[in-house]
Amino acid sequence: MSLFPTVGRKQASVRISWWLVVAFLVLGIFLHLVPFYIMISTSIKPASEAMAMPPTLWPKEPTFVAWKLVFNLSDIAKSVLPQPLSRYFLNSVIMTFGTMLLSIPVTSMAAYAVSKLLKGRTANNLFVFFIGTLMLPGIVSLIPSFLLTRNFPFPLPVAPNIPGTATPFPTLRIWNTYWAVILPAGFSAGNFLLFKGYFDSIPDSIINAARVDGGSEFNIFRRIILPMSVPVYAVVAYFTFGGTWDSYLWPLVVIQDSSIAPLTLAIRRITDAFGAAGTTNPLTAIGASAGITDLVNQGLSWNGLMVLGLLQALPTFIFFIITREYLLKGVKIQGLK
Amino acid sequence: MTVGTEVIEPKTEVQTVEEGRTRKGWINWIFVAPAILFQFFWGWYPSIVAIFLSLTNAPIRGALTFRGIENYVRLASDPLVPMAFRVTLIYGIASIVLTFFIPIFTAILLMEMPPKTMRVMMILWFLPLSGIASTLFWQYLYNENFGLFQFIATSVLGLPPQAFLSSERWVLLWLIVPGIIMYGPGLYYITGLQAIPKSYFEAAEVEGAGFWRKIWTISLPRLRPIIFMSMLFSIIGSLQEFTFPDLMTRGGPNGASRTVVMYMFNLLNNGRIGDSTALAVMLFALIMILVLIFRLLVKSDPDV
Repeated sequence: MSLFPTVGRKQASVRISWWLVVAFLVLGIFLHLVPFYIMISTSIKPASEAMAMPPTLWPKEPTFVAWKLVFNLSDIAKSVLPQPLSRYFLNSVIMTFGTMLLSIPVTSMAAYAVSKLLKGRTANNLFVFFIGTLMLPGIVSLIPSFLLTRNFPFPLPVAPNIPGTATPFPTLRIWNTYWAVILPAGFSAGNFLLFKGYFDSIPDSIINAARVDGGSEFNIFRRIILPMSVPVYAVVAYFTFGGTWDSYLWPLVVIQDSSIAPLTLAIRRITDAFGAAGTTNPLTAIGASAGITDLVNQGLSWNGLMVLGLLQALPTFIFFIITREYLLKGVKIQGLK
Repeated sequence: MTVGTEVIEPKTEVQTVEEGRTRKGWINWIFVAPAILFQFFWGWYPSIVAIFLSLTNAPIRGALTFRGIENYVRLASDPLVPMAFRVTLIYGIASIVLTFFIPIFTAILLMEMPPKTMRVMMILWFLPLSGIASTLFWQYLYNENFGLFQFIATSVLGLPPQAFLSSERWVLLWLIVPGIIMYGPGLYYITGLQAIPKSYFEAAEVEGAGFWRKIWTISLPRLRPIIFMSMLFSIIGSLQEFTFPDLMTRGGPNGASRTVVMYMFNLLNNGRIGDSTALAVMLFALIMILVLIFRLLVKSDPDV
C-alpha cells in the first residue's frame, strides 16, 4: 500500500485507480483459473459433447466415463498406450523422488560448505565452478550427456579401445534406466544459488557458538542449520519436484522402453495418436487410427485427454499446497542494495 | 602460579578449538565432494566435450575420426537450419518482449493490496498447472473444428474459420499467446519488493512523487538486479525452447514452428550425432553473443 498517497485516499480519482488495480489483478487470477475450470468441466463431458460446436460451458449430463476409461486405456487401445497408466505414473514418481533424494542433500551440503565452511579463494573458485554452468545454455551438453549415459565415462557413441589392444574400455551404461534421469540431476546450479542465498543469511555466530560447544560440523549442519532452513528446503523441493515431474526432452532422449517411461512421454504418445492440433504426422495417424476409433466409440475423446492432463497436474498441485507457506520465506536473494 | 594457570588455561582451550578446526579441514571437503563430482561429470565435462564432438564424424559404430568443420559446412548448406534459427529467434524474442514485463508489473501492483487480500490472491495465482498439462489444454482450445478459439473467431467475432496451429504464417504467434494471457506475478519480484523499506515510499511522497513516479524511481531500480538476472535466463531459456512447440505442433506445419532444439532432436533420431552436436554448438554461440550484447547494453547495477 505504498504507491497510493497516504493522505487523500478518499478522493474519487485515487479510489477509481485503486479499483482499476484490483480489477486488473482479479482479471489475471480469473484467467489463471480458467484452464482448471475448462479441464475439469471437459473431463466430465461425454465424448461427443467434448467435441461439440459451440462448446458447452458445463456438461448437460455430467459423466465420469472418461475418468474410468483413461485408467483402462492400455486395455482398449494397446497401440495408443502400451502400458497401463499407473505404470507411467509410478515411473514418474520413482524418477521424481529419486532425483529429489539425491539432488537436495548433495546440492545443499555443497552450498553450506561454500557459504559457511570454506573461506577465501577456495570458496570463491568453488562458487564459480558450481554456478558457472548456469550461464551456459544447457542444450550444448545434451548430446554428450546422452552419450555419457551410454558409455560412462566416455561421452562418445562408441567407447575407445584400450591402447594397443582391440578390446574397448569397460563402460557403465545407465541409458534406458531410471538412473539416466536421476544421476545427471544430482547437482543443480540453480538450487545451489537458492541454498547459498539462504545460508548466507544465517549469522556465523550461531555456528561458532555450536563449535565452541563441541558440535561436529555434521551435527551442526543436521541439528542447527537444517531446522533453521526448512523454508529454503521446501522451496527447492517444490521446484525440483515440479521440474522433474514435467521433464520432457531429457527422458525423451534417454528412455526408450515404455515400461520405464514417465507420464510426460505417455502424454506425447497419446497426443501423437490423437493427431491433435491438426498437424499430424500422417504415418502415426494411420498406425493409431484403429485404436483411436475404438476409443471414440467407447466414449473417449478430448474428455480423456483432459483427465490425463488433470492427473498429470495433480501431484504438482498437491506439492504446492504442502509447501505454499514457505515459498516467500525460502527465497532470499542476495545482492539487493 | 595460580594466577598463571588461570591465564594459560583459557588460552589452551582456544587453541584446541582452533587446532580442531584446522585438523578437521578435510570434513569440509566431504560436504562438497559429491557435488563436485556431479557438477564435473554432468555439468562441465559434457559441455566442453560438445565442442570436440562437433568436429568429428561421431559414428554410431566404427572409428571416430576428426573431420574439422565438415559438420558445420554441411549444416550451412542445409536449408532447414536457417529456417530453424529464424523460428527460434522470432519465437524467443517475441515471447520475451510480449511476456517478460507483465509479471514485474503485476508483482508491483499486487504489493498494493492489503496483506490478507494479497495472501489469498497469491495462493490462487500460484496454483500450478503443470506445463505438460497446459499443452493439452491449449491444444484443445486451438482445435480447428471445436476449439473455444474457433468458436470465438467465427461465432463471436464473425471471422471466417481460422487455421490456428496449422497456419504456417501465424503458428508462432499462436504459440506465444498463452504466455501473454496467463500472466502472473513473479515470485522473485515479490520477494524483492518486500525487501524495500516503507520509508522510501513515504519519503518520496513527501517530495511529491505520484504513483508512476514511485514505481519508476523506487520499485524498478530496487528490482533491477533481479530483473537483470531474469532477463538473462529468459534469453538463454527461450532460445532453447522445445517442450511447448513439440507437444503443440511437433514443429509443423512444414517446419514453421520447428525450433533449433527440435531440429537437433530430429538429427539425433536419424543418427546424425556429429551434425546434431554441431548445431548445438551453433545455438550456443548465438545465445552467448546475444547474452554478451545484452550485458554490454544493460548494466546489472548502474551505481557500481
